[in-house]
Amino acid sequence: MPELPELNPVIHGKLRLALLSLLAGVEEAEFTWLRAKTGSTDGNLGAQLMKLEESGYVAVEKKFVERKPQTIYRMTDVGREALQEYVQALKQLLGAAI
Amino acid sequence: MNANAEEVELRERLDLMQRMIAEGRRTTQRWSWTFLLWGCAYYIAIAWSAYGKEWYSWPVTMIAAGIATGVLAARIKHSEPSTAIGRALSAVWGVMGTTLFVVLMALGLSGRADLHLIVVIAGAMLAVANGISSLILRWKMQFACGLVWLATAVGACFASDTQLAITSLAAIFFCQIVFGIYGMILESRRQGQGSVHA
Repeated sequence: MPELPELNPVIHGKLRLALLSLLAGVEEAEFTWLRAKTGSTDGNLGAQLMKLEESGYVAVEKKFVERKPQTIYRMTDVGREALQEYVQALKQLLGAAI
Repeated sequence: MNANAEEVELRERLDLMQRMIAEGRRTTQRWSWTFLLWGCAYYIAIAWSAYGKEWYSWPVTMIAAGIATGVLAARIKHSEPSTAIGRALSAVWGVMGTTLFVVLMALGLSGRADLHLIVVIAGAMLAVANGISSLILRWKMQFACGLVWLATAVGACFASDTQLAITSLAAIFFCQIVFGIYGMILESRRQGQGSVHA
């Protein structure tokens, strides 16, 4: 019997999964946009994005636009690959559950 | 956790992903207000030039609408994510708008501006921009607007002055005012989105 895959714990958290999925559909996004789309608090969102950044799944760029600080996030190639693997594992697990 | 609950949990994850990916792509459709703004600008310019008889009615109105679009678009762009589709659409509309403005200004300055010619050029260019946008966004309503502009441009080649005035005003009403309001209603309905917690 083939072994069932394990789900990546970094991606499996609901908010982190939502963040990676949002970033998968765009080239880059600002912190405030991610906050609006997820309805998360600043603290929680910042902590989850930090985990994704530490894992190398997202890249962050801080800049000033019209004297206002802006934090831009974009998904890295490693993050994209990890998300694809996560989806494959999820489908495999669901296939096994049916 | 039993097998059934685990399966529900996994399916929730898949649904969440699909919802969020779609949400990211949807941001490119939040520009319907520009159709309404430009529709109103066309009507203001037509009314001003018809009753005021001022030569500068069109250039002033078009420049004012262009500035208003630029200021409002810059504010939206700061808070919206960057997408390839968004860049493609802004390229199409930016090039179309600039070309149309330069060509119509040149026609006006040369003294060869004829209402039929203006409607043919503007209608054809709006048909191209609406057609490309509708194919990228797979939006049938916008495709219909493209067809209306194409029909207006073709009709302008054969129509009398009165027929031309009626068809142009009708095209602006349906393709700018009605389509703009329809798009804004759709966008406001999509605003409601559930929260995601860790």
